[in-house]
Amino acid sequence: MNDALIPRIRDYVAGRLNARDVTLERVDRIAVGWSHETWLFDAVWREGSAQHRLGLCLRRDPGNALLRHLSTLETQFKVLQCLEPTDLPTPKPYWFESDAAILDAPFLVMEKVAGVCPSPWGRDGRAFYAAAARRGGLPNSFTQTLATLHTLDWRAAGLDFLGVPMPGKSFAQREIAKWRELIAVSDHPPEPILTDLVGWLEANAPSTDRVCLVHGAYRTGNLLIHDDRISAVLDWELQVLGDPMYDVAYVLSDLNREGTPLLSNLVERDAFFRDYEAATGFTIDENACRYYNALYAMRSVAFWMSASGLYATGRSNDIRLARTAYSVPDVLDRAAKELGY
Amino acid sequence: MNAADLLQRIAKTLRDDVGPAVDGEYPKTQAFMAAVVLQKLGRELEFAEAHRAADAGDLRSLADDLTRARVGAGVPRAIDDAIARFAAVRDAASLCDVIEALYETRDELGESRFVAWLGRIRSTLRAQIDRRLEFAK
Repeated sequence: MNDALIPRIRDYVAGRLNARDVTLERVDRIAVGWSHETWLFDAVWREGSAQHRLGLCLRRDPGNALLRHLSTLETQFKVLQCLEPTDLPTPKPYWFESDAAILDAPFLVMEKVAGVCPSPWGRDGRAFYAAAARRGGLPNSFTQTLATLHTLDWRAAGLDFLGVPMPGKSFAQREIAKWRELIAVSDHPPEPILTDLVGWLEANAPSTDRVCLVHGAYRTGNLLIHDDRISAVLDWELQVLGDPMYDVAYVLSDLNREGTPLLSNLVERDAFFRDYEAATGFTIDENACRYYNALYAMRSVAFWMSASGLYATGRSNDIRLARTAYSVPDVLDRAAKELGY
Repeated sequence: MNAADLLQRIAKTLRDDVGPAVDGEYPKTQAFMAAVVLQKLGRELEFAEAHRAADAGDLRSLADDLTRARVGAGVPRAIDDAIARFAAVRDAASLCDVIEALYETRDELGESRFVAWLGRIRSTLRAQIDRRLEFAK
C-alpha cells in the first residue's frame, strides 16, 4: 500500500466534507495494476457529540492502467452520475478530480456499497457462487439486474455522450474499430489469425436497430453482492451504447465459467433465457451472440497485447502483465476455433 | 545445464522457496507470477529450434501452394501482389497482407477460390498455433 497517500486522501476528504478531525479507518487497497488503483475506506469524523462514518471508494489513475487508452475516470464518473437516478444499482459518485496536484493523478471518489465481490476464478469464489446458485435468489437478481440495465432509458439518463450507433451494422463496426486501435497502439508483432478474425468479423457484422446501454463485462466478479442480490454493478470501463446481445453473449460465453454449466458460475442457461426474455421483452438472438463471442476473442487479444506491451515497454513493472503475453496464443486458438479451424 | 533448463530451475525456486517466504499479497503474487513466466519462457526456449524449423517448412509449403494457385488464374491484382511478396519473404506480416487481400477482393476472386485459399492458409495457421500452445498453455 502507498501509505504516503493516505494522509493526503484524508485531507482531501476532510476538505470535501468540510469536517475537522477526519480519520480514515478500515483502509484497504484492492486490485493492483490491472486497472485503476482502488482504495476502500471509511471516513470518520465528529460533529458535536455525534460521530459520522461514510464508506468511500477512491479510484486513481496510475497512468499505465490496462484500458486507460479507452476508459478515463472522468467518463466513469459521468456514467455513474447518469446512472444514479435510475433503478440500476450502482455506487453513488461523489467527486472527480482531474487536478494531479491533489493525489499526483486524476481520481474519483464514490460510495462504498455494502457487499462482497468474490472472484469467480478461485476455489473460494466458485464455492460461493455454487452455494448461491443452490439458494436461488442471486441467479434471479443477476438476470433481473441485466434486464434493468438493458431496459433503462439511456437517453433520458443522459448517456448519449457515449456515442449513439446508427441503425444497422454501425455498432459492431465501431467495436471492431475500437479494438483495432488498441491492437495498433500495443505495437505487437502481426498475428495472421487475428487478421483472419478481423476480416471475418467485418464481413459478418450483424445488423441491429435496438440500442441499449451495454455494460461490456457483465459477469460475476464485476458485481457486488449483498444478501443474495446484486447490490451494485461495478467496473464501468467498457460500457457502450449498442446491441444488448453483446452483454448476453458475454453471459452465455464459456469464458466466464470454469467447470460448471452455470452461466457466470451462477445461472442455469434455461432460466436465464426465460427470465431475461420475460423481463426485457427481447428475444435472445443466438446467432448474434455467436458473432459477439468471436468479437470478444478479438477484444481479448487486444487486452492481452496491450497488457503485455505495458510490461515490455517498461510502462508497468507488474509481472502479471508479462504473463499475458502467453495469453495471446490461447485466445488466438479460441478465435481459430470460432472460425472453424 | 542449458538455458531452458536453467529457467525451469529458477522458476521452481521462485515457486517453492521464494514465493512462500514473501510477505505481502502483491509481492507474493509477483514472485509466483515470475515463476509462471520463467517456466513458460523455458518451454518456449526448449521448443524454439524445432518450432522455427516447422514454421519455416509450413510457410514455404504454403507459399508454394499459393503461388501455384495464382498462376494463370485471373487473380485480382491485390492478391497477386500480396502472394508474390509473401512468397519472397514468408513472414507473418506478409501473410497478414495476403489474408487482408483475400477478404478485400472476395467478390472479385469468387467464393470457391476464397474458401479454398483461405482454408489452405488456415491449415498452416492451425499448425502454428498448436505449436505455440505447447509452451503458452
